[in-house]
Amino acid sequence: MKIKQLLFGLFIATFFASCSKDEIISEAPLPAYNSGILILNQGGFNSGNANVSYLSNDFNTLQNNIFSTVNPGVIMGDTGQDIGLNGQYAYIVVNVSNKIQIVNRFTFKLIATITANLNNPRYIAFSNGKMFVTNWGNPGSTTDDYVATFNITDNTFLGNIPVVEGPEHILVNAGKVYVAHKGAYGYGNKITVIDAALSSVITTITVGDVPDSMRIVGTDMFVLCSGNPSYAPTETAGKLSKINLTTNTVSSSINFSITSHPSNLDIYNNDIYYTVDEKIFKTTQLATTLPSTPLFTTTPQGAYGIYSFEVENNKIFIGDAGNYSANGKVYIYSLTGVLETSKTVGIIPAGFYFN
Amino acid sequence: MTLKKTFVFFALLMCQFICAQQDTITILENVVVSDNQLKKFSNTQSVLKINDSIIKKNQASLTSLLNYNTTIYFKENGLGMVSSPSFRGTTAQQTAVIWNGININSQLNGQTDFNLISTKNFENISVRAGGGSVIYGSSAIGGSVHLNNELNFKNQFKNELQTSFGSFSTFGLNYKMLLSSQKFSSNFSFSHNSSKNDYPYLNYDLKNQNGEFKNTSFNFNFGFKLNNFNYIKTYNQVFDSNRNLSGTLAADSKSNYQDFTSRNLIEWISFQNQFTSSLKFAFLSERYKYFEDKNSDGFSFGKAESFISRYDLNYQLNSKITLNSIIDFTKSKGFGTDIDENKRTVFSGLLLLKHQLFTKFLYEIGLRKEITTNYQSPVLFSLGTNYAPFTFYKIKANFSRNYRVPTFNDLYWQGLGNSSLKPESSLQVELGNEISFKNITFSITGYQIKLIDLIQWSPNSSGVWTPKNIKNVTTKGVETILNYDKNYKNHHLVLNTIYAYTVSTDEKENVQLIYVPFHKTTFSTSYSYKNFGLFYQFLYNGKVFTSSDNENSLKSYKVSNAGIEYQIGSKNFIKIGFQINNLLNVDYQSVLVRPLPGRNFNLNFNFKF
Repeated sequence: MKIKQLLFGLFIATFFASCSKDEIISEAPLPAYNSGILILNQGGFNSGNANVSYLSNDFNTLQNNIFSTVNPGVIMGDTGQDIGLNGQYAYIVVNVSNKIQIVNRFTFKLIATITANLNNPRYIAFSNGKMFVTNWGNPGSTTDDYVATFNITDNTFLGNIPVVEGPEHILVNAGKVYVAHKGAYGYGNKITVIDAALSSVITTITVGDVPDSMRIVGTDMFVLCSGNPSYAPTETAGKLSKINLTTNTVSSSINFSITSHPSNLDIYNNDIYYTVDEKIFKTTQLATTLPSTPLFTTTPQGAYGIYSFEVENNKIFIGDAGNYSANGKVYIYSLTGVLETSKTVGIIPAGFYFN
Repeated sequence: MTLKKTFVFFALLMCQFICAQQDTITILENVVVSDNQLKKFSNTQSVLKINDSIIKKNQASLTSLLNYNTTIYFKENGLGMVSSPSFRGTTAQQTAVIWNGININSQLNGQTDFNLISTKNFENISVRAGGGSVIYGSSAIGGSVHLNNELNFKNQFKNELQTSFGSFSTFGLNYKMLLSSQKFSSNFSFSHNSSKNDYPYLNYDLKNQNGEFKNTSFNFNFGFKLNNFNYIKTYNQVFDSNRNLSGTLAADSKSNYQDFTSRNLIEWISFQNQFTSSLKFAFLSERYKYFEDKNSDGFSFGKAESFISRYDLNYQLNSKITLNSIIDFTKSKGFGTDIDENKRTVFSGLLLLKHQLFTKFLYEIGLRKEITTNYQSPVLFSLGTNYAPFTFYKIKANFSRNYRVPTFNDLYWQGLGNSSLKPESSLQVELGNEISFKNITFSITGYQIKLIDLIQWSPNSSGVWTPKNIKNVTTKGVETILNYDKNYKNHHLVLNTIYAYTVSTDEKENVQLIYVPFHKTTFSTSYSYKNFGLFYQFLYNGKVFTSSDNENSLKSYKVSNAGIEYQIGSKNFIKIGFQINNLLNVDYQSVLVRPLPGRNFNLNFNFKF
């Protein structure tokens, strides 16, 4: 009897072989990727499947893999790290590929690719006609980190600005470039201030451990430090600091509890937003203590964790990387934390860029 | 519920007990191997033996040999790079590699890199499908691959030198010397393989960048007959590999990986009436160094060592009943850049029984229990039957519980390791049919594996990755093997076809595991006439999913190789062979963005003197 079943199984198997359904239906490119959000999908490390999704501002149109839809046959790269929007262009920093793919930000047609003078590129910013790109170099080395500069008009290399270990997020303001040193394989605690015109370091400011994100309001910069994580040799507390940009000194700080590691600082309508694990917190710029209860958490929506976060257009955007192997999800909430919509995007949604 | 079904299935098989058969008594043979249980206690499962002549025809890596000749699926990070098996839809850590009876899966990551085993160092390689943890310990869930050296006690002195020259500056050398008498046996071999490995990626204006590899190994095996009842044997191997880790279609690479392993085994085997006792001591050591940037001095490393003492007592109660008990004591130590020094001591005891109940029927029972402080270990068992109602037809059934223990990396990785991990455990059942006529053997085996507590590294809500007993997996499949072997005058024709159908389901998400194809087929044929030979081999791997939601996939591929050889001389000879790999110049990938080589050539010379 069992043999019959087995033979039947075999029959079924051959049946499946002959009718396995095939591959993805390829979509046509949209006429323009404006009035919407570009979502960078980092892709798996060493999997070469980084890509970009487009979601219209009314959330009705979603297209995944727009880079390969518009540029068939071109591999965008391995581990998409950041997108910088400037002028007509979107600059996609691809970490493992050591590349910057420059596309027209509205058509997504590939214009140029920068491949030289990048070594573990992380984030990009623009000022004084230059691109500033943070680079880790060899992440095991603490002495080869730099900010690479390129000319915006012709993409030529202008030079490197050596900085301390682990330059990560980068921000420009009033002719100055601010680099947060989160650390590469080690753990950083510095902000480097660079003169954008001269491409030289003005000073470094010591902040808490693992400065994650920066926002500037007037002459103040808020820096959210995550603290050393639980698996570091010594775990340290997170910290929210305010830096006076005229004196380049820390004017005030609020400490988190030692096991609480905040990230994703954003300031919108003068309110401060940040996240801890799956919780979203909201506070004010004048607060001297931290809120004890979150604005909301993503757990009820099944969002596994918060990989990327942005407050914009009166909405809170959350990218959920899930198990990092499956396609990720984007959740969009009202400013009070009511879920409005969710979309399945590419693997590891790592950033939102408003186009 | 599936479990219940499994039990009912097994109960059904029990009705075989009505019929029966007689065994032949094991006699002392001239050829001695160290893996005693592979022959004696594998009658109720399928064992595919790959002999010397097939090993020689294939490329030197174990990946290539098994890819074209067995149901095992391989995921290869580019030619010569890290290669992981999936046997019966299981993970890379659920296949045990057994070197002369000793489990050599890494203590650090739990698996064996199949590109770090040079096949030409072994006289035969056997593939034992299905559960084998009772005998072989951790990881023998999908099955086990057995690398055996034979010691031959007859008067001989033989030398064999094989060299091969291939595309992309690929070079292979193997020298083997056998020197033996009635009293002693020695077997020495040396292998070296290297390649620039800079093959062009078909359809892209790119080459396989940073793909250079080389490896060298020495083997020395020696046996000595103290008298007719006592033998001393020793097996030794060192393997040294230095590889750059190749780039991909999307990114260049600068990294380099070096492995060094040594394996030593000494055995005293003694025959006293119905008793055969064997006392073994083995020392295994492994070390890796990883340079993220090969041009810088910084590297990370890991090292592990194991010392194994084993006493194996076999008792032939009468012509029908064989009892075997084994006591094993293994001490392991691991340390490195990312793990602090940790030790593990495991004491295990096992009992095996084989009973030829009737002429046409035998059954085997095995039990194993481990005692260790590092993890909770379940009682492992194996029950199997072999019934041959007709001379041409055999039916085999086996039911077993198997396991895989957490590795040093899983338990002790700095800040992330999880010391409360449970071993993965599986319950599995299989039913095999073997039909053999004069020149044809055909087998079809159906199986089901229910694996619980699969260990996987996964992120928590703040993106911190830790190993957890994360899910249960059910795998069902069918394997068929068809073999035809015909000698006619000076003509010799061999045909082999293998097909495997595998459904490996993550029970929670109800999706196929990544990198497990539903279908795999191989076909190989060889023909020889006098001194002239031809062969052809073909491999089809079905589509595999590359993301756990089954939304992203890698397409199926078909590749084939062909070769021609001519031998001058008979006892002492020179054999010249020419091979074309990837005959049809197929562009294919076994891992995302890592194309494998297009058509390439290989010229080889084999001297026997």
